[in-house]
Amino acid sequence: MGMYRYILFFYIIASINIEARPISYSGGSTLMMFSDNMKDSIYYHFSPTYKYSIGIESVKDNYLNNDYSLLRATYLINRKNTQYSQRNLYINAGLSINDTSNNFYGIHGDWETRRWFVGFGFKKLNNKIIDYDQKHLQLGVAPYLGEYGDLHTWLMIKTKKNSLNDDWYTYPVLKFFKGNVLVEFGYNDETEWDAHFMYRF
Amino acid sequence: MKLIGIILFLFSSWMVASDHSHDHMDHSDMMHHSHEGHAHEELVDGEKLEVNPERFDKFVATLSNAQVAVVSVKGMVCDFCARGIEKTFQKDKNVKKIDVDLSQGKVLVAFDKGFDINFEDIKKKILANGQNATGMQIVSI
Repeated sequence: MGMYRYILFFYIIASINIEARPISYSGGSTLMMFSDNMKDSIYYHFSPTYKYSIGIESVKDNYLNNDYSLLRATYLINRKNTQYSQRNLYINAGLSINDTSNNFYGIHGDWETRRWFVGFGFKKLNNKIIDYDQKHLQLGVAPYLGEYGDLHTWLMIKTKKNSLNDDWYTYPVLKFFKGNVLVEFGYNDETEWDAHFMYRF
Repeated sequence: MKLIGIILFLFSSWMVASDHSHDHMDHSDMMHHSHEGHAHEELVDGEKLEVNPERFDKFVATLSNAQVAVVSVKGMVCDFCARGIEKTFQKDKNVKKIDVDLSQGKVLVAFDKGFDINFEDIKKKILANGQNATGMQIVSI
């Protein structure tokens, strides 16, 4: 069991915020790719309305040498738009196609202006090996305010904790987006580089 | 790690392609710059247009016999989040051109001069992207 805890611990620390931009515009869809030393993942979701999205995620677990697919759904339970800010609160869930005991559910939210970003999340994950939860906080600042169509840059810091270990792990994240493309890079001493690519159709 | 390489390649390719596209757009706008009329300085129903003047003039430079709906939008704080607005309006055959002014929270939508612009329809399109349209001014070009 100790080995599995060790593996899961690093698995959790390695994962970056793939829940970012979880819902598209009505009729829109999004392709995401995520990679680090632990896993490669491709996630596609479609949004029938701006209130929810449904999708499928294919995961290649490099550490456990295990492949599986998740059916995922996200629902926007609250949004507050103001002239200079937007606040969102989402719930989400996922269920493995191959094994229903492998599933997750969670809640996450964010508040952002053109200059500042604050996000948080809580996720409960269940599987046959061990159940656990994870939480994160993310703060970001845009060093300059780009106009529509420009290359946009965010400097972010993310801190994470899970129920398998009481320590908070904090690491920097760089985010860039231009047009329909978004990329995110994070670095942690334990897990080295990870990357997240997103294309909105 | 292979996927990280793919991600980097995709992003750099996209950046190069975007820059080429942008160059063409700038060239096109410059060709028509003699039509510049500084329409942003006009008063609409006694109120000054709160738009980014440079962006607005660039938007209308290639337009003629048109009307521009300047829509005030709440919650439009991010380029990536506003993309859906552009995509939604582009599906409407009556729309000649669209742009987003993030700094002023405005969406600029150009229609033919005789078209009857319906604010309720515009509100629905903005809401389809999760934002709220709160007002609209119409400028004839």
